[in-house]
Amino acid sequence: MKKWMALLLTVIMVMCSFGAAMAEEKTAELNIMMSSANLMEQWQDFCDQFAAKVLAEQNIKVKINLEMPASGQYDSVLQARLNGGDAPDVYMIHCNNLNVYTKANYTTDLTQEAFTAQLFESVRKTVTLEDGKVYAAPLENQAWGVLYNKEIFEECGLKTPDTLTELKAACETLKAKGYTPFMLAFQEQWVPQLMTALTLGGKVSGELPDWVDRMYKDEGSYEEVREIFDVIQLIMANGTKRAMEEGSEAGAADFAMGAAAMFVQGTWAEGSVMTANPDMKVGVMPLPINDNPGCTMLNMATSSVLCVYPKSTEKELALQFINYIYDEEVSSQLFQACTYNPVAACHTYEPSQCVASAAEFLAAGRAYEELVLPSAVTDEQGKLLQELYVGTVTVDEIITRLDAAFQNANKLN
Amino acid sequence: MKSKAKQNLSLLLFVAPALIVYLLFKLIPAISGMFYAMTDWNGFYQDFQFVGFANFGEIFTDKPFWHSVWFTLKFVVVNLLLSNGAALALAYYIESIRKGKSFFRTAYYLPNMISGVISGYMWMFIFTKVLYYFADNWGWAFLDHSWIGDPNYSFIAIVIVSAWNSCGYLMIIYIAALQGVSPQYIEAAQLDGGNGWQIFWKVVFPMIRHALTICIFWSLNNGFQMFDTVYTLTGGGPGRATQTVALNIFEEAFQGNIRYGYATAKSTVLFLIVFSITLLQLRFMKMQEEEL
Repeated sequence: MKKWMALLLTVIMVMCSFGAAMAEEKTAELNIMMSSANLMEQWQDFCDQFAAKVLAEQNIKVKINLEMPASGQYDSVLQARLNGGDAPDVYMIHCNNLNVYTKANYTTDLTQEAFTAQLFESVRKTVTLEDGKVYAAPLENQAWGVLYNKEIFEECGLKTPDTLTELKAACETLKAKGYTPFMLAFQEQWVPQLMTALTLGGKVSGELPDWVDRMYKDEGSYEEVREIFDVIQLIMANGTKRAMEEGSEAGAADFAMGAAAMFVQGTWAEGSVMTANPDMKVGVMPLPINDNPGCTMLNMATSSVLCVYPKSTEKELALQFINYIYDEEVSSQLFQACTYNPVAACHTYEPSQCVASAAEFLAAGRAYEELVLPSAVTDEQGKLLQELYVGTVTVDEIITRLDAAFQNANKLN
Repeated sequence: MKSKAKQNLSLLLFVAPALIVYLLFKLIPAISGMFYAMTDWNGFYQDFQFVGFANFGEIFTDKPFWHSVWFTLKFVVVNLLLSNGAALALAYYIESIRKGKSFFRTAYYLPNMISGVISGYMWMFIFTKVLYYFADNWGWAFLDHSWIGDPNYSFIAIVIVSAWNSCGYLMIIYIAALQGVSPQYIEAAQLDGGNGWQIFWKVVFPMIRHALTICIFWSLNNGFQMFDTVYTLTGGGPGRATQTVALNIFEEAFQGNIRYGYATAKSTVLFLIVFSITLLQLRFMKMQEEEL
């Protein structure tokens, strides 16, 4: 009997200790939403790394739900989730919208987080709002313009054009050699919109520095920047066919395979281009707007940033995740895999082709800070450029409608 | 008396699950939507102000909205005629064949089981890749159009996808109605020397009028709320050329100036338009059914 009792007690003790060990391992769920569907694999790997680290160091089993809605629908999905009380713990937004999200109390003050000390001062400034606090973690900070196929340019004996006249001549040379000058992929409205972002940026930064301020006071007009449509129409007239049937990813792949010599796309498309053709020699050049080389500059912007939802049930973990992005051991690997530019002191990797190519222009001071326009206006620009391409609207009508859209946005915000 | 109350209660219990879902996900949001229609809420900030009927007043001068209403009306009419015409023809054909009825019924119904989003993406591939392949490699130049980019052709593309998607569903309703037509009437008509068309038009068609009422009601309702197919196929573009009312409301609520209150006002107007048109249609068609 005693033996049986001893055995029973031993079994109970073993089970209790096993149970206690089990109880120590906590579980948690972290919801992350990003708009980088083309980088799903890279981010998934990083999330797995983070989960393994947390499990090893804190014995917390984290289930990370990484969502990547398509960029066209991303903002709507995110807004619906934030409103519907189903906010992700960590989410990506465009840096231009940081102020709006912070005003709506959807961001957390990250100033005291360790990663902020790592950031380059110029980048840190872009995620710091007027109150001097950092509200987001920057991911993409790039100098972007027009992607061009270096091999085609070399073969045709072309150098990157500094003026509109030179760009026109380059188009003629390319066509004479049997190449299509520009890759057009206008199916998604944000892609043609890039042309307005670049041309407006160049024109305004080079010649009309007070234009944006005046537009916000209803004292300016698109009439003043009418010449941006010269280069836009030049691109449209010298582009690949069936642009409305071509999505951004397909466009990047076709550009990589030599369908055209130039592509108005940011350096964020480099990953897609290199996946389609790993041997491609791709460069970045500024887009000429007129014959003033002072307007031919690259656009420097912090686009994607990550925010932490302030009412997150896993806020501590979310902050750890943010800090882990800038961890000295893993950060460079992640940023390089995503072809992001270095944004922090821990980024000591060899820059990608596009980054290296843009650096030449940056060194010469040929870059401007991206203009911040109301998102209703940038949306309208994308729509109107699609219409301009299919011929259902004239430049005069575009000017009238964009002025109205800007004034309407001023009235509402 | 008591048994009747009991009967009512049991009937109520049977419909309760559907009724609760309807209340929770349709009626309550619709009513709260009408409240938000009178606010300036942007769907983003937590605070908002009551603005009365200002949003409704603004709708009158909203050109993109009325353009989308006009586009939706065109779509509803063409889609209604095409999908109902094709569904009725298919139903009549399937009912008239002896072998393979269930095969054809299943085959034609299948597209309806695919969601509008999926079929939109599928057809996008067809319109942007397959048709061009035929045009470029087989010399079928008549397919070489901008099916997504040219507003006229993209209208055709949208109607094709939508009719393809809804045809099977309508066909099933017509088949059920056709099966209810007594063969005696058809035999009698045949004995009287009526030809195929006459038998269909004079005998069968009047007897399936009730199905026509339901199918037109369904087509109208669905057509006015068209969103998924257009969203995936053209995104309302180029520009706003193929924007339906539902897409216009979506744009207002979630893009650009994100005006949730104003968007809800627009959806209230859409509800009133759909409600009045379907009410008229039901009245008119019921009257005709009674005349028979």
